[in-house]
Amino acid sequence: MIQEFYEKINGNYEVAISRMQNDERIQKYLKFFLMDESYKSLEDGMVSGDCDAAFRGAHTLKGVCQNMAFTALSTVVEQITEELRAKNFEKAKETFPQVEVEYKKVINEINKIM
Amino acid sequence: MEERNTLLIVDDVMINRELLKDIFEEGEYKLLEAKDGEEAIEILDANKDSIALVFLDLVMPKKNGLEVMHHMSLNNMINTIPVIMITGEATVESDVKAYELGAADIIYKPFEPAVVTRRAKNIIELYKHRTYIEKELKIRTKELLESKKQIEQSNVFLINALSSVVEFRSLESGEHIQRVKKFTRIMLRHWRALYGEKQFTDEQIELIVNASALHDIGKIAIPDNILLKPGRLTEEEYTEMKKHTIYGCQMLEKFKQEENEFYRYCYDICRYHHERYDGRGYPDGLKGNEIPVWAQIVAIVDVYDALVSKRVYKSSFSIDETFRIINEGECGVFSPKLLKCFNDSREELVENTTKEQME
Repeated sequence: MIQEFYEKINGNYEVAISRMQNDERIQKYLKFFLMDESYKSLEDGMVSGDCDAAFRGAHTLKGVCQNMAFTALSTVVEQITEELRAKNFEKAKETFPQVEVEYKKVINEINKIM
Repeated sequence: MEERNTLLIVDDVMINRELLKDIFEEGEYKLLEAKDGEEAIEILDANKDSIALVFLDLVMPKKNGLEVMHHMSLNNMINTIPVIMITGEATVESDVKAYELGAADIIYKPFEPAVVTRRAKNIIELYKHRTYIEKELKIRTKELLESKKQIEQSNVFLINALSSVVEFRSLESGEHIQRVKKFTRIMLRHWRALYGEKQFTDEQIELIVNASALHDIGKIAIPDNILLKPGRLTEEEYTEMKKHTIYGCQMLEKFKQEENEFYRYCYDICRYHHERYDGRGYPDGLKGNEIPVWAQIVAIVDVYDALVSKRVYKSSFSIDETFRIINEGECGVFSPKLLKCFNDSREELVENTTKEQME
């Protein structure tokens, strides 16, 4: 079930299992991921035009995605983090929809297996 | 001391804290966590003797990781509690900054459990070892200082014993030498205060003071019929008597082990404490600044003590009279600088001049 989830969201199950030891643990972290507020900070920052706030949210989300081995989401978040770090807000605005798509996909799939 | 058995995990993201907690879940450590820098500082202050290691995120709300490190530096925690920085990416600036502030190590997200536990264990061991070594070093240093003090005490004892042999033989009270030492110390301190140029350290002053006790050691080689003669010495006898300066040095040369500072002071004082500033003293007729300052100082306090003391062959002079005699060059000739220092020291010299010695 967890392995399938990782396939659907283009994540790396092997890395996740080596890091978190077993499916029960991964499941626990997926639940935590639902509660994590960093995406919200990124989204709020993008909407209100607050580049620094958006950067902090993106930066945190990046760390979490890397730890969870959400490869696809991690890649776009990393891109937007660098754009925001460079204060290139226009470029970040172009990237954000991709982040939104990947993030919603992950949330959707987590909800399906909870 | 309390065993350090606690890990503090500081990260604003719950998932990151949970990941680290899971890594150490089965280990020997108690786990504490903080979700921002402020909380971390509170926990650190309350548990500074039990925390073995801190995992510290850099970017956090309220206070960030660097501020936590700064707090640890200010409060002397950084040398006893190792910090492992956790960071999302390696930028040279933040890495350098973290190491500068005293981070023991840096690990990058995502965490690899095996690497994290290994590094944590190594660093805890390293700091434990370091704290142990530092504690040992403190104990050893204390022991060394104590034995140094003991050696110094025995040295002073031996020097006093040696110098009192001469006094005992010349049937003197034995207090002359103790007074010469005191007066020498007083004059040296005034000299240092007056003339910054020749700064004596406290240690050097004590060496010279001890050396001053030996100024007349050569008198041990003067025959009884001269040394103990109550009346005036003949020309010939006086010539022999003057040789005590040379005899003293010969003795010192015989048992010297190596040329060191203390030996140099002893030698100079034995040999030159009867030289005169105008070059008409003995044994070498040195003049002016050829005479080492320490020998000049012992010379003047030796004369001072002789004048104010009652001796078998003479009564004592009053303090005023003694200062007049010395200043006007009626007994020994001293440099203006030395006389100024002598007059500056008057109050303390008089304080240490006893009624008993004058009566």
